[in-house]
Amino acid sequence: MGELQGLGAALSEAEKAGVEIIAVSPDPNARSHEMAQRLRLAYRFVADSDLAVTRRYGLVHARGGEHGEDVPTPTTVVLDRDGIVRWLWIADNFQVRPDPDDVLQAVRAL
Amino acid sequence: MTRSGWLVALSLLVSAAAIVVYTQFLHVAAIRNNPEGYLAAFAIAATIAGIAVAVGRRWYAWTTLAVVLVLLLGSATFNFVLARIPEAHTTLRVGERPPDFTLTDADGRPVSLAEYRGKKPVVLVFYRGYW
Repeated sequence: MGELQGLGAALSEAEKAGVEIIAVSPDPNARSHEMAQRLRLAYRFVADSDLAVTRRYGLVHARGGEHGEDVPTPTTVVLDRDGIVRWLWIADNFQVRPDPDDVLQAVRAL
Repeated sequence: MTRSGWLVALSLLVSAAAIVVYTQFLHVAAIRNNPEGYLAAFAIAATIAGIAVAVGRRWYAWTTLAVVLVLLLGSATFNFVLARIPEAHTTLRVGERPPDFTLTDADGRPVSLAEYRGKKPVVLVFYRGYW
């Protein structure tokens, strides 16, 4: 969750109001909700329990989970007001996350 | 303390510092995103332990060299093999509009990309649900 915390801290209040951050994971809603409260950030956590959306976007890391289950490839996408992809970051090593400053720059460049 | 002893202490200190920095400061992007940092630290620690063995062939120098080499090989395997994610064959393209979706949020309300069209930019984050 490091990248989410970093991104939340990097955005000003006005910018938080001007951009919607949607966090997609296969996690059950209850756990994500608990996380949202802990971080006190204006994120919308949505559950993709069967990875249907992750799969349609071609972002499944097959058998990449702790117990050999399919998991999402960590990915950050910046979409402009028209819903067009303007910036895209896809992990090739699960230790690495996008630098919040880079995401912020992509948002500010819109 | 012997010269070998000092070198052993230095080698262990460098290793311990790498472990502490990497585990305690994972939230700092510069540390999290450069796992090569701990590999470099273990490589330096192994070199120092090797010198410790060369200057005085003490049992503790050999032991330290063995421990630090295990750390180096283990972390290299983790970083270069286990942590690797095969290239995603994503359908997302910069300049294109991805297909819409509707998923439910933590309060059970539907969330779709279309509801933000013409209103707000969206940052979409896919994550694994743990760490």
